[in-house]
Amino acid sequence: MTIGTIYTGFGYWNVYAWVMFFALGALIVLCIRSTGRNDYEKGTYQDEVFYGGNPVPQDGQDLAVPASSSYWGFTKAIASFYDLLVGVHTGILSDYMGLLIATAAVISLLILL
Amino acid sequence: MSWQVHLPALILTIPLLGAFVSIALTKPRLRNFWFTFILAATAVLAFLLWRRVGAYGTLIYVMGGQSWNFTLPSGMAFPIRIIMEVDAFGAFMVLTGAISALASGLFSIRFLDRVHDGNKFVSLFLLLLTAMLGLEVTGDLFNFFVFLEIASVASYGLIAFWRDTPEAIEASFKYTVLSTFVALLFLVGVGILYGVYGTLNMAAIAKNIQVGFLEKVALVLFIASMAMKCGAVPLHMWEPDAYGQAPAGIPCFLVVVGQASLYGMFRIAFSIYGQAFHGSVLAWIIVVFGLLSMFIGVVMAVIQKEAKRLMAYHCISQTGYMLMGIGLGLLALSSPQAMSEFGFTAMKGGIFHIINNAMYKGLLFLTAGSLFYATGTTDLNKLGGLSRNMPYTTAMFAVAAAAIAGLPPFNGFVSKLLIYESSFVVHPFLAVVAMVTSILTLASFVKVFQSGFLGPSKENMTTIREVPLTMIIGMSVLCLMILALSLMPNWALSNLVEPAARDLVNQASYIQAVMGSGLQ
Repeated sequence: MTIGTIYTGFGYWNVYAWVMFFALGALIVLCIRSTGRNDYEKGTYQDEVFYGGNPVPQDGQDLAVPASSSYWGFTKAIASFYDLLVGVHTGILSDYMGLLIATAAVISLLILL
Repeated sequence: MSWQVHLPALILTIPLLGAFVSIALTKPRLRNFWFTFILAATAVLAFLLWRRVGAYGTLIYVMGGQSWNFTLPSGMAFPIRIIMEVDAFGAFMVLTGAISALASGLFSIRFLDRVHDGNKFVSLFLLLLTAMLGLEVTGDLFNFFVFLEIASVASYGLIAFWRDTPEAIEASFKYTVLSTFVALLFLVGVGILYGVYGTLNMAAIAKNIQVGFLEKVALVLFIASMAMKCGAVPLHMWEPDAYGQAPAGIPCFLVVVGQASLYGMFRIAFSIYGQAFHGSVLAWIIVVFGLLSMFIGVVMAVIQKEAKRLMAYHCISQTGYMLMGIGLGLLALSSPQAMSEFGFTAMKGGIFHIINNAMYKGLLFLTAGSLFYATGTTDLNKLGGLSRNMPYTTAMFAVAAAAIAGLPPFNGFVSKLLIYESSFVVHPFLAVVAMVTSILTLASFVKVFQSGFLGPSKENMTTIREVPLTMIIGMSVLCLMILALSLMPNWALSNLVEPAARDLVNQASYIQAVMGSGLQ
């Protein structure tokens, strides 16, 4: 057995190969970075955020994409599915209990019949 | 005779003693020291228990007798008294739970400074720990019910600990009603088996069981109740409420408490019913629970904007992997060929996922707790740019998020790989759902990372500072476990997972450990 190798019965995977792969990737990134400009100075115009040529808002709140807007396209594309799913999550205890009884009934049918 | 023969009893009595003593400790420093000491001692005992089971095989411990071992009067037809039975699967669960409890407890210590009745918190925490460990070491169905109730009662108190918050009271009330109902279902199931077989010992029932109508009714009650307690879809809805409202360190602990119910489901399915239950219906029920939990859990997580609720939905989703992995093992139980083709690999994946999930999901909940401690909110719309202020929390969140998303080379990848490949053999659809779930998991944690830690600093977040040292230590325990499991997957599989999977599959050895000791 090779150290760090997992045999799944269908193939294998080695953790250290991946660690080396990431280490190599990091080395390449550092090499590319070292070829960059060396006249960077902190606290100058070089630090400024490029905001489409517009003045940068002082508060980060005005720049940030809120979490509720993340994956807007994904959720919009399957909105009907989400409407159904969120609709089931009512937060009402009697609904929870109803689902529990319905699930127990389905399991009963499957196991007893 | 080594004192370690008493480990199955000590693992319960030490935290129980801690729970009762802590209620009297009103001085914060003494209480915190006692809490840490009990948690550390329990973790050490759990390690010793796991090591002893590895060395000597299944441990049996008789409580209430003249001796710890079987010295029952001759002529007994079945075992009486309270019998603890710890095989490799039980020891694995105990070790996982004790490590998680240690991390969760260390993390919670600084939160106790903010409440005036911290000793009640400590007492409930240790009571919950006792109950969780009891569920995992008992060999008796009625005791399982008792520990289930103790765990439930302690959980009600901890979830509603911020009792000035109506949402916390509501979350606890919902969990109370549901838990009480399923506990009654479980008790009726226990009553049925006791009525038929005249014993409550799991091994004794397993030896004699002949699955007829009544046994099937009991099985339905057991599976429905355990599915609700572990948060399988569609019985999961209490979980985001409860995890979202519990004090910051508690959801991390509730993850392993939920896994104890999962343990109960698997113990009943494999060790009590086992091959006596003919057909694949039960296995497919568990696999379908797994599929629904994986997919519904993750798609609900994607749209959450509150970090703890998002993570609670992920907890449901990750439970799905365990259900599917071990459910596929159950599917292969009656066929040695199927077991060698895919069953054992799936079981290894499912069981490895239990410890992986306990570590990275626990760590994610603790990082959410850190965000709450530092900023007073876990609303992702209000957070942002915290990586500069909270570098340790950020780094540990990144490790945990990569692990839960199944990114190589982290531990989550290994367990998911085993589940993907084995489930593909049964049907490619199963593997596709598992992989889509992983992708959506990554997507939602990218969202949390981007919303909470990256981006420009918000004006009201500029003075935020990193959390105190004890909280970082609590998170570090789990982070180090993730790294260790990631970098030593062979060791983890050979020493932790495979013995647990072998013992779970081997119903005969579970029965033999009790019934072979001079009993008929």
